[in-house]
Order: sequence, then structure tokens, then C-alpha cells
Amino acid sequence: MVLIECRKLTKEYRKGDMVIRPLDGLDLDVEAGEFLALMGPSGSGKTTLLNLIAGIDSPTSGSLVIDGQDISKLSRSALANWRATYIGYIFQLYNLVPVLTAYENVELPLLLHKLSRKERHERVATALSLVGLADRHDHYPRQLSGGQEQRVAIARAIVADPKILVADEPTGDLDKASALAIMQLLQRLVRDLGKTLIMVTHDPNTAEFASRTLHLDKGRLVDQSGHATMEAVR
Amino acid sequence: MIAPKFMPLIVKQIVRNRTRTFLTVAGVATAMFLFIAVQAMHRGVMITTQQNAEDNLLIVYRQDRYCPFTSQLPQYYQQRITEIPGVVSVIPMRIIVNNCRTSLDVVTFRGVPDDDFLKHMAPTMDVIDGSIAEWERRSDAAIVGETLARRRGFKAGDSFDAAGVRVYVAGIVRSDEPQDQNVAYVKLDFLQQTVDRKLGTVTQFNVRVDDPKRMNEIAAAIDEMFATSEFPTATRSDKAFMAQAADEMIELVSFARYVGWASLAAVLALVGNAIVLSVQERIKEHAILQTLGFRGGLVGRLVVTEGLMLGLLGGAVGTVAAVLVVEWGQFSLSMDGLSIPIEVSSQLVIAGLLISMTLGVIGGLIPGWQASRRPIAGCFRAV
Repeated sequence: MVLIECRKLTKEYRKGDMVIRPLDGLDLDVEAGEFLALMGPSGSGKTTLLNLIAGIDSPTSGSLVIDGQDISKLSRSALANWRATYIGYIFQLYNLVPVLTAYENVELPLLLHKLSRKERHERVATALSLVGLADRHDHYPRQLSGGQEQRVAIARAIVADPKILVADEPTGDLDKASALAIMQLLQRLVRDLGKTLIMVTHDPNTAEFASRTLHLDKGRLVDQSGHATMEAVR
Repeated sequence: MIAPKFMPLIVKQIVRNRTRTFLTVAGVATAMFLFIAVQAMHRGVMITTQQNAEDNLLIVYRQDRYCPFTSQLPQYYQQRITEIPGVVSVIPMRIIVNNCRTSLDVVTFRGVPDDDFLKHMAPTMDVIDGSIAEWERRSDAAIVGETLARRRGFKAGDSFDAAGVRVYVAGIVRSDEPQDQNVAYVKLDFLQQTVDRKLGTVTQFNVRVDDPKRMNEIAAAIDEMFATSEFPTATRSDKAFMAQAADEMIELVSFARYVGWASLAAVLALVGNAIVLSVQERIKEHAILQTLGFRGGLVGRLVVTEGLMLGLLGGAVGTVAAVLVVEWGQFSLSMDGLSIPIEVSSQLVIAGLLISMTLGVIGGLIPGWQASRRPIAGCFRAV
């Protein structure tokens, strides 16, 4: 079942007199439960595509239908509500709030849902134990290693049980061992929890964990040799 | 408004930069202290010159004299004024102050005949220490107003000197009349003999009339009666007398009110500046919150609530400090024998807190609006 459907997806920025087009009429389908890796050189449009799918940016033209809903037509506030329900975002630099403990960081998305304090507590505890950090709940980000911070960020991304996880170079700032552990964790989330994961990466080793890898260049999907491809649409 | 579950997040953001928060709260507190103090002075002036002045009371003063030291009238005027139709009672009063200029610590003696004091004044006072009977018994006795007693630390049985007069504190009284709270009532003949070593001279007459509508008519009759005498009079209503006596003080306090309003502008600038700096530091964090699903409006409200909290915190500290200082000091602004109490009412405390909260909200509005409108992806690119 197709969960994400991009058609002629285009994003343009204006910089002075220049028009920059990081995405140029891209077509893409992503199945529910799929682990998709997006690769490509810097400026190829990977992160822009990820941001559009995550609903934190809007396309200039084209359609972006997710779970039957064209999110490009949603208002700012409706899109915020949609993100709270559908998206868990994992950043390269973790982006935890430094004044909050691991527990409080993971609890943040739950504050947007009608849950009692007890329900929130149970969910946060479950998410933290899922990433192996139950004993670090009262630690601040500065008291955690990079790998542990990314685990907290993953717990924050999954705690509200979203359908889609997007990860922007989730291992880009980690050593090899931590990167491996994070990738195994992400793979488990897809396999065991049925999440759909779209990951941007520069690293072919990381991309190997995905069930499918697509390459972008100049805002379009290309095959390994750099030629435009229609492979992404099924 | 903001749901309580978001409060820990707001509090953590406020205490995040402790130095800046401390300086902001201290600045707001100082400004609110100034505002409350000025408003308390203004309230005292209003109470003294408008609310507490009696509508059927005339004050007979020496013409063209404005200070108790220079207003001298023959005591025998009392009998002639009493004969004017419409006059209910006439109380001669000698007033001595230890400082004729504007001051925060003036001791005012009011010398009144024993019978008049017991008949007209004592019934309106609550004795909280000592007794009126003791005042009757001793010639050098004084009944001291509560505010003056607290300011100077007097208690019944003490003796004190002021303006060359030494008196014995027979009792301490509480009164709804601010003037009574700040003076020492002594016997008229005692004060006359002590100060002038002669009887028969008073500072003013308090004339009560039967009909407030006849105030002007009776005042004119009194002044006409003594127009050609050696000691001509100027008779005004209690309200007009107080307004004139406090004229310079009213101007001063009116000017001070501008300082008070300016201090509110300082509160606005302080909170606004603190919030703007804080928001600029957290552009990325706000983008993260929005990525998690926080709506722009919610992010804006979180920022505004920070402003509210800073305003409330500073306002509370400043207001409590003003209440403590005024309560501890028992200040009373005095001028030409007229006492203006400085008191912080509960309404003023509530108003101070509401104003500081409102200013905090206003200070947070623009940065809150900016935080709510920033494009998320742009914030990540910019930082």
C-alpha cells in the first residue's frame, strides 16, 4: 500500500534574482512499512524532499499525498497538527532541548495530545526503554554521549507513535560503533513496529540498512549512473 | 492561555539564563517599586485633599498666611464667629510643627480646648494604647496618632520633645482621618504657654456649619466680620484649604507620577529586551518544537507567557518591597502642618501586579509573534 505519493513535486527558492530549484518535478511513491534511503551529493535536494514529506516546508508546485491527504494544501496550523500525528523527525545533530532532561525531551510531543500525566509517563518510559536509556531519564543532553543523545531523539520521534519517521543523516555525527547501534535500532523500529522510515544519508554503509535506496541529483531521481529514472514510481 | 502542562517548559526557559533573568527581574522590581511608591503618594494626596475633607467644615486662617508659624489669630474671634447664623461649633486650634517645609518626618502638635477635644474629636478615635482619661488628668499630655507613634516608636507613658515642646504620651489613637493619624493632640493653653508664653493666640478656627450649601455664604460672613481688624481672616472649606496647603505637593506628586509612568515604560523595555534576546537565542529550538507539532500560535504563547512570568515576578518583588518599605517607614509627607499619609492599599498592590503582568505580556507580544511566524525549514538553514 502506497503511503506517500509525490507527483511533479517542485520546490523553488528565490535568492536575489536567482531562482534555486532544489526539487524539480520529482515523482516518488513510498510504501507503508518501507525503509527508504535517499542518497546524493550536497545540494541534490535530499533534505528538501525530507522536509516536504515531514510537513515542515511546503512545495512550490506539485502534489504530496500522504495517507490519502494532500498535505501541500493544509494550512500552517493544520499542518502542525498533522505533523504531531504522522511524523517523527530524527535530526543529524539530535536537536534536543538542552534545558530539558531526557525524560522531558521525550515527553514534548506528548504534551500536544490529550493524555493524562500518568499516560504520558508510561509512554515516555516505554520509548526510553525501547532505545535502551531507561536509566538515563533524568540526564540532561550535556550529560549524554552523542549516541545516547541520538537515542533520546529517536525515543522522542517514536513516543507519539507516528506512522512515518524521517531521519536526516542520523549517524552523520556519530562514531562507527554508535552509528551501527543506531542503524540497528532504526531497522528494528521498521521491522517490529511497522514504521515507515525515510532516511537521508551520504554513507553507503548506512544506506545498506534500508530496503530501498534512491539517488537524487539536481532535484531529480537518478539511477546509479546519474541518469534520470522513473524507478521510484510503482 | 497556556495549559499547566507547559509551565515546566516555560519555567526552565526563564531560569535558563539566570544572570539575565535576575537582572531583568531586578530592573522590573525597581521600576515597579518606584511606580507603587509614587502612586501611594498620589493616593495620599487625593485622600487628603478630596475624599477626607469634610463638606460642612470651614477653616478660618489668617489672611495671606500659609504656614502655621505665621497664621496668628486672636482666640476671642471664637465667640464672634459662633454668633454667625448657621455656625454649629467653633474649635480654636493652635498648630505647631517642628518643620514648616515639606518633609517625611514632621511632628505636628494641635492644641485644642479640652472640652472641644473630648466632645468633638475623641469620639471619632479608637484608643489603642494608654487612655483619654490620662490626657485629661495631665496638663502636658498628648494623644498621639498611630502613624506618628509608629514612625517615632512612641508608646503610652513615654515623653518626647519636638519643636521646643516636651509632652507626655497619654494615649495612642487610631482614626479614619489621616490628619489625626499623624498629629499629637495637646491642650490648647498648654501649647500656647509653652510656645509663646502667652494665651489668647491660635493658628486657625475649625468652624462646623449646619448646611453644606451655606459654606460660601458663612465663609464670606466670617471674612467680612474681620476685614477691617488688625488680623483679617481667610476662610475656606476644609477641601479648599487642604488643596491650597498641599498645592505645591500636588504639583510635585503630579510630576512624580510622570516618573512613575516612565518607570512602566522601563518595565516594558526591560521585559521586551530580555524576551527578544531569549527568542533570538532559541530560533532553532522553536523550529524543533514546531517540527514536533507545536503550532506557531502555541510557540508564540509560550514566549508571551515567559514575558508574563518575568513581569509578574519583577512586579511582585517590587510591590512587596514597596509595601514593606512604606509599612516599615510609616512615612507621612507633611507640608505647612498638613499631613499626607503614604500608604499602599490592597487595590494598589493588585493594580501593580496586574500592570506588571500586562506589561510582561505586551513585552512578549512582538517576539512571540515573530517566533510563531518563522518558517521552520528556514530556521534550520539559518542556524
